[in-house]
Amino acid sequence: MITIDRVGKTKGRRTILRDVSFEARPGRVTGFLGPNGAGKTSTIRILLGLDRPGGGRALVDGRPYAAISRPLTVVGALLDGSGAHRARSARAHLRWVAASNGIAGRRVDEVLEIVGLTDDASRRTGRFSLGMSRRLGLAAALLGDPPVLVLDEPVNGLDPGGIRWMRSFLRDSAGQGRTVLLSSHLMGELAEIADDVVVIDKGAVVAQGTLAGVTGDHATLEDAFFALTGSERSW
Amino acid sequence: MVIVELRKLLGLPTAWAGLILGTLAAPALVLVNAPAMRRAIAEGRDVTDLGYQNLGIGLLGAMILGVVIVSSEYTRTGDDVPGARQLTATLMAQPRRMRLFAAKGAALVLVTAAQGALTAVLTVALTRAVHGTSVAPWSAGRITGAVLYWVLLALMAYAITLAARNGVVTLTLLIVNASVVSVSYLLTKVTGLAAYLPDLVGAHMFLRGGPDERIPPVTAGLIMTAWVAAMLAGAAVLFHRRDA
Repeated sequence: MITIDRVGKTKGRRTILRDVSFEARPGRVTGFLGPNGAGKTSTIRILLGLDRPGGGRALVDGRPYAAISRPLTVVGALLDGSGAHRARSARAHLRWVAASNGIAGRRVDEVLEIVGLTDDASRRTGRFSLGMSRRLGLAAALLGDPPVLVLDEPVNGLDPGGIRWMRSFLRDSAGQGRTVLLSSHLMGELAEIADDVVVIDKGAVVAQGTLAGVTGDHATLEDAFFALTGSERSW
Repeated sequence: MVIVELRKLLGLPTAWAGLILGTLAAPALVLVNAPAMRRAIAEGRDVTDLGYQNLGIGLLGAMILGVVIVSSEYTRTGDDVPGARQLTATLMAQPRRMRLFAAKGAALVLVTAAQGALTAVLTVALTRAVHGTSVAPWSAGRITGAVLYWVLLALMAYAITLAARNGVVTLTLLIVNASVVSVSYLLTKVTGLAAYLPDLVGAHMFLRGGPDERIPPVTAGLIMTAWVAAMLAGAAVLFHRRDA
């Protein structure tokens, strides 16, 4: 269970987040939807303790991330890139990450297998393609077999096969009772897998509820999104 | 946690460059300088610091380690994702920043102390082998002083790099100052107080000769420790407060 409770954030004079509140519940895929720069990544970084909120709380099972011991066994997160130093091999990266949270070394080979990187495990990650980096990032997120998954734009950089795989992986994870929170600016993609949707625009939540609830009378989630944000051409 | 940080550090090629450079530079200098030094000794040169003087060059290795243990966290992981760094993975694995800060510092101290001890002993032994046992007497105190100097400089590099969030600033500042033009040394020509700057004062822990004002080794050690402690405290505050 993820609880975002009245989280605010300013950088300089710019307000990044304003009173953002929502929940992501176990057994459901919660889609966090918004245009680029709306505050999705900032919210996720605050949830993971990487950035500090200006106000409010972001909790996992009632605790701030930093208060969780061996956090990787509770939350698996995928952010931009793999997080691996480019001089390290995929396996060496996963090994130190596993060791840091007391996760058995054999789990490294398991997650490499899950994401399909077994054959590239000894290669330096600096030579990885964008898609391979994403898969390595996902492997790290899965190391601790966590009940909560947080993914920022997970399908970025994946090929069609990878996107399809990711979709069924996330659905299965929720099916097993995990809490899945994923952010995306791809509405069609989100509409395919999300049970619940939180729409954020310019740092504030403009709608939240079940996918059907947020879509409402509109034909698609995309139509609903533009009606909610009133920004047909934000670029 | 310290073991994880050791493992991360020693898994990097740049760290090994620092280790190898730091361990071999001073002994190599003894050999390279040997002919000139023999002549100088024959001409009555002061040999108080022979063997110990060369240790200065090896501290580049310690500085590199102090930089790399932080800069590796802030280096971009790939060209296609500008904001992605190892630090994200590190903080997700260990979100308690002060513990992480301490673990990194401890790992750095262990590596540089081991390296410094090895190099100091090697260098002094080699000096004695080359120039005879009459010069460069074994001195546990001076070797300890040199190792401590080493460790403190590594911690200083660690603190500066963490505050700057990249290694270029530190490397420029420390390496240029230590090897090319010593701004600190030039300042001593302006004011005697400059002798108390962190990089200069520490050398008094293991060097005895030289034209400058003498500062007792223990005093020198305490002053340098205070400098480094202050820098570490500043870096810790920044690291604790800042967004990753």
